[in-house]
Amino acid sequence: MGERYDIAIIGTGPAGLEAAINAKIRNKNIIIFGSLDLSPKLVKAPKINNFLGFYNVTGKDLKNQFAAHISAMGIGIVRERINNVYAMGDYFALMVNEKIYEAKAIILATGIEYAKPLKGEEEFLGKGVGYCATCDAPLYKGKIVVIVGYNKESEEEANYVSELSSKTYYIPMYKGEYKLNPNVEIISRKPMEIVGDDRVTKIILAQGEIITDGIFMLRDSLSPSQLVPGLQIEEGHIKVDRNMMTNIEGCYAAGDCTGKPYQYMKAAGEGQVASLSAVTYLDKANEKK
Amino acid sequence: MIKEINDKNFGEEITNSDSIVVVDFWAPWCGPCKMLSPVIEELAKEMGKEVKFAKVNVDENPLISSKYRIASIPTVMVFSKDTVKETMVGFRPKADIKKIIQRNL
Repeated sequence: MGERYDIAIIGTGPAGLEAAINAKIRNKNIIIFGSLDLSPKLVKAPKINNFLGFYNVTGKDLKNQFAAHISAMGIGIVRERINNVYAMGDYFALMVNEKIYEAKAIILATGIEYAKPLKGEEEFLGKGVGYCATCDAPLYKGKIVVIVGYNKESEEEANYVSELSSKTYYIPMYKGEYKLNPNVEIISRKPMEIVGDDRVTKIILAQGEIITDGIFMLRDSLSPSQLVPGLQIEEGHIKVDRNMMTNIEGCYAAGDCTGKPYQYMKAAGEGQVASLSAVTYLDKANEKK
Repeated sequence: MIKEINDKNFGEEITNSDSIVVVDFWAPWCGPCKMLSPVIEELAKEMGKEVKFAKVNVDENPLISSKYRIASIPTVMVFSKDTVKETMVGFRPKADIKKIIQRNL
């Protein structure tokens, strides 16, 4: 286990970057996770006229300005995808596959590009619906399992499950070659709804249905409540107060993930508030010691 | 202290307890379980006088796991005698679990 950072920021859009520069100015030890493109939405914007101080710029221009700004301040982006964040009490554990980062406070600036859950998915979570096939596979020994795979990595999980289950169905949500064990049955139909009584009984497809004991939804992008277990969500957005604090102490959120309007300046402003709130939280925690 | 319980002694450990019992269903291959166990240990330190804490390894205890229909781990259940008062599926922050235990005291 490495060092414990003061603040970990998840996301490199305007909210995350603004949070990063403010925390850096306040001399905090930070780590920021994201991509070198900073934000796919930003790069795609053809023309921006509502970002104060930058008239008639393209998204790419603005992205280059952002990149130059953080690099001038010595902020480097860690290009890793956080799978889960666990609130351990006085710190947070950020999981990247087998690796763990630790931080005293976190700022979520993940944007709002995640798939909507399937009908019935949230209702049956933990009652047959799961997000981690490798975690829960042994509980489905000798049972029927459906895997809805959104990426290539899901295939490996399907193969692992097929060694334990009595029957594994794989519903691919992408096109390509599938490297699956011969006993995995591929069903190329769109899933519509998960149904059951007190537990999952079947998944309804665009055509037909599959009777099953368990369903694993293996997506690329996680919703915030899956990313941070225990996080309170309201109408599809992370619930925050005026200080950008969530229901979890030490966990802040900023940008599109907290709600509308989805705008660069709003995101940056929230990132700044979140960052300063996190700094205040850290200073208070230090005083206690 | 967290008592390791199993298929054989589950009934007596739960039913004969005067206090409510918090049971952590876990397995060694489950990542989120590993993260949750120190959280449960801290809670046991803080609340151990009023509440009994126990854990069940689902790998070794299939009878109990299937009786309580554990479909995802970690699962934490709060028992009062032989009734399940609360079920929490997946990792939860310490403050959340504490609140849920407290409302059953």
